[in-house]
Amino acid sequence: MAGRDHPQRVPEREPGGPRRRDGLELALAQVAKGDDGAFREVYDQAAPAVLGIVRRVLRDPAQSEEVMQEVLLEVWRAAARYDPATGSAVAWIMTLAHRRAVDRVRSEQRATERELRAATATIDYDEVSDAVETSLEHQRVRRCLDGLTDLQRESVTLAYYGGYSYPEVAQLLGVAVGTVKTRMRDGLIRLRDCLGVD
Amino acid sequence: MRARGAGLHTLVGAYVMDAVSEADRVSFERHLLTCEQCREDVRGLREAAARLGTAEAVRPRPELRDQTMQAAARIRQQPPLVPDRNRLQSTRRRGSTFRWLSRSAEAGARPWLARVALTAAVALAVTATVFGLHLSSMQGKLSAAEQRDTAIATVLGARDATTLTAKVTTGGMATVVMSHRERALVFIASGLTRLPAAHAYELWLMSPTGDTPAGMLPPARRGMSGPMVVYRLGPGEQLAMTVEPVAGTHQPTSAPVVVVALGG
Repeated sequence: MAGRDHPQRVPEREPGGPRRRDGLELALAQVAKGDDGAFREVYDQAAPAVLGIVRRVLRDPAQSEEVMQEVLLEVWRAAARYDPATGSAVAWIMTLAHRRAVDRVRSEQRATERELRAATATIDYDEVSDAVETSLEHQRVRRCLDGLTDLQRESVTLAYYGGYSYPEVAQLLGVAVGTVKTRMRDGLIRLRDCLGVD
Repeated sequence: MRARGAGLHTLVGAYVMDAVSEADRVSFERHLLTCEQCREDVRGLREAAARLGTAEAVRPRPELRDQTMQAAARIRQQPPLVPDRNRLQSTRRRGSTFRWLSRSAEAGARPWLARVALTAAVALAVTATVFGLHLSSMQGKLSAAEQRDTAIATVLGARDATTLTAKVTTGGMATVVMSHRERALVFIASGLTRLPAAHAYELWLMSPTGDTPAGMLPPARRGMSGPMVVYRLGPGEQLAMTVEPVAGTHQPTSAPVVVVALGG
């Protein structure tokens, strides 16, 4: 966005720069110009994570695949609007993915329906978890989550993975809404510091 | 469930994880307009939340890749955002100011999350493509509000975003979030004195070489006016607001009720 007046300026690797651009950001800049090869690259890098989070929130495998594709198509369409100054490409894509999943949960499903879905999808979900748990990234995040207090961890995971609102989380945990709000914030801050994100 | 006052500050975690109600989201986004620290927190916590997501990566079925590529080939991409103050003026010349503004006012109810509006627009477009509808008509309808919302998010998210506030002499407060890097600002006002129907507030960029109209303020909603985006800031300019006939004028016809020096 900063280079708006210079359309030819494409993000380049800046080894000494304030924040290095990763491969995803470089590919995204190409996607913005309609490069379908670069979109394949973005798909390969982002689709697994998008499917992963959407599936944790929605549970239903078929619906998750559909939402994953919608998110990737959003990325294709809106690539020119991504601004590296506002955060990493991963965060941009994951924000789109999580919001889309949560919107789906809130708009389409009554709570009972969601529980039903969760129950019927249990076996499948466990298989997914097994595969996920072998990844290094999963273990790293898991370790950081273990460093949170129980209430922080439960608040964060119910909100992010469960797609619950903070009043719902408060209800589930039997604590005040104000407490849940601060635990969500403090938990994420601790997670951020543990993961060493910028 | 509605968080107010100091409570808003702690909402950042829930907000980043999409764990807020619509009402809270709107309140928090308003709060973000005037809280630079909060915007910085949102940025950092989004990165952390994203890692919760990437940690769950699973391999999609291979055939989904080609399906997605084929679908993308049928979707026209959005152009990059090119701030252009002249667009507003040319709209005015065509005499369609009011239609444009009324749509802006609707979108303006949720300033910070331009992304939400964008997402919704994209969702519509994707759905339309999947069902074989024509995108062009929809794009025509959405682009003004969409482009404006994206501009707001860009200014608020800019690393050099600074917030200025000033009292309006006839009542109320004006807040400007400005990014010199993006050469744009977002203007909001609260508690402005209600004007007779024939009049409205108009924004101006004032410089030694002359005054340029920067848009009519849409009617206030719940005491809030704006947000408005003003593009193409030049060095040494001032943002001013005057009371003008509701159709707008090409030059200010009354003394400004507020002037904000933009520096840079």
